[in-house]
Order: sequence, then structure tokens, then C-alpha cells
Amino acid sequence: MTMPHDPDTKAKAARWREDFPTEWEQDAYVARREFAKFLVLGSALLAGANGIIAAVGRRFRKRAPRLPRLRIAGASVLPPGGSLLFRYPTEEDPCILIRTVGGELKAYSQMCTHLSCAVVYRAPAGEFHCPCHDGRFSAGEGRPIAGPPTRRLPKILIEQEGSDIYAIGKEP
Amino acid sequence: MPSGKSPDTGLRRQGTTVFTAVGALIGVVVIVQLWLVSASLDALLSGDMKVLVPAAIASLLLFFLNGGLLLHALAFDRRTRS
Repeated sequence: MTMPHDPDTKAKAARWREDFPTEWEQDAYVARREFAKFLVLGSALLAGANGIIAAVGRRFRKRAPRLPRLRIAGASVLPPGGSLLFRYPTEEDPCILIRTVGGELKAYSQMCTHLSCAVVYRAPAGEFHCPCHDGRFSAGEGRPIAGPPTRRLPKILIEQEGSDIYAIGKEP
Repeated sequence: MPSGKSPDTGLRRQGTTVFTAVGALIGVVVIVQLWLVSASLDALLSGDMKVLVPAAIASLLLFFLNGGLLLHALAFDRRTRS
């Protein structure tokens, strides 16, 4: 049995109380309150992260370089269902120009948005196929329709002038 | 015979319930914010810049919602203590 008049025991009890200030029956209450505060702190950090991402995005958009106008050799003789490889805007960027079965010209980056393998055009199915992981993209819009890719193929903007086809820009 | 419980046990139990509910709501909103960060990062890497600002505004609004919920619960907490 403790002796309440013993000053040493009282001092020990006070130190114990400093380390464990919460009563047992209050524990769940305090834990939930602190957890809610912690979650709101996390929420503030996530809002800040989104703000930083938006700021970085705006900075990138302002610095987007103007791309050159490049003639795609041999494009005018491309038959319906055919495809032609070219590089745009630099020699490091493989692209693919297709003429759909309907006769429409479309151009995209040839790099799969999953792991950058080269996609190939499958005219009968009207899609691009990535042989690495069986990813598929629609030929009409370049959107992912099957497999691991989640982002669409970057579109190359083209322009026809007489019988010549020019690449004039790149959509993300 | 004394029960051993303090007189404000009922109020504190209500407070525990309030914080459980508020914690669950805030948790759901935080998960939505996590998804927004993930989607924004994906859009940034793919160069799709036009969704970034709306996503940041939505995330900020969700944070204000969380803050409001927490303040509401803390006001209850103050009533419990006084």
C-alpha cells in the first residue's frame, strides 16, 4: 500500500502522470481525436502536393518549344490500311503515320505509353498493337483500349499541302 | 455503490462516436485526395496540363471540407471538456 504522506511517492506519481496524462476510459476518445487531426494534416499536405503539381504543369506549358514543320516523305502514296514510320520532332522520336481503311490520315508517336515499346498498326482491327505486353490503342483517337497502357498515344498534328504531308506539331 | 465512472462518461462516449464518424468521413475524403494527386501526376507526366488546376482546386476544397469537419468535432470536444 502506498503512503500518501510520503513526498517521494508523490513525486514519483507526478512523474508517472506526466508520461501518461490520459485516463484509461478517455483513451479511445483521445486517440480518435488525434487521428482526425492527423488525417486533416495529411489532407493539407495532399492539397499542397496538388498545388505544386499544378504549378509545375503551368511552368512546363509556358516553356513548350515550338516544333518544326517537317515533310513526311512518301506519305502521299500511302494506301488505305497502310502505315509509314517517320521521326518527329527529333531523330529520337519514332512516329507512325497511317491511312485508315476509310482513307483518313492519322499520325501518332510510335512509343507505347506503358513502357515505350514500338506499336504496330493493325488495319483490319483498326487499332495499334504493342507486342511487349499486348497493349492496344484505337487507331481513331489513339486511346488505350486493352492491356496495361492507361494513357493515349501522343498525336502528331499533320497538314496536307497539295500531295505533300507535313508534321506540324505534337499533342501530348 | 459507486460505479467508478465519471459523470461525463455519456458525453465522452458521444464524443468518441462523433470523432469516429468524422474520422471516417475525413478518411474517405483523404482517399479521394490521394486519387487526385495520383491522377494529376499521371496527367502531368503525359503532358495533359488542362486538368491540373481544376484538380488542385478540387483538392483544396476537399481540404476545407476536412478542416470544417474537424473544427465541428473540436467544438463538440470543447463542450465535452467544459
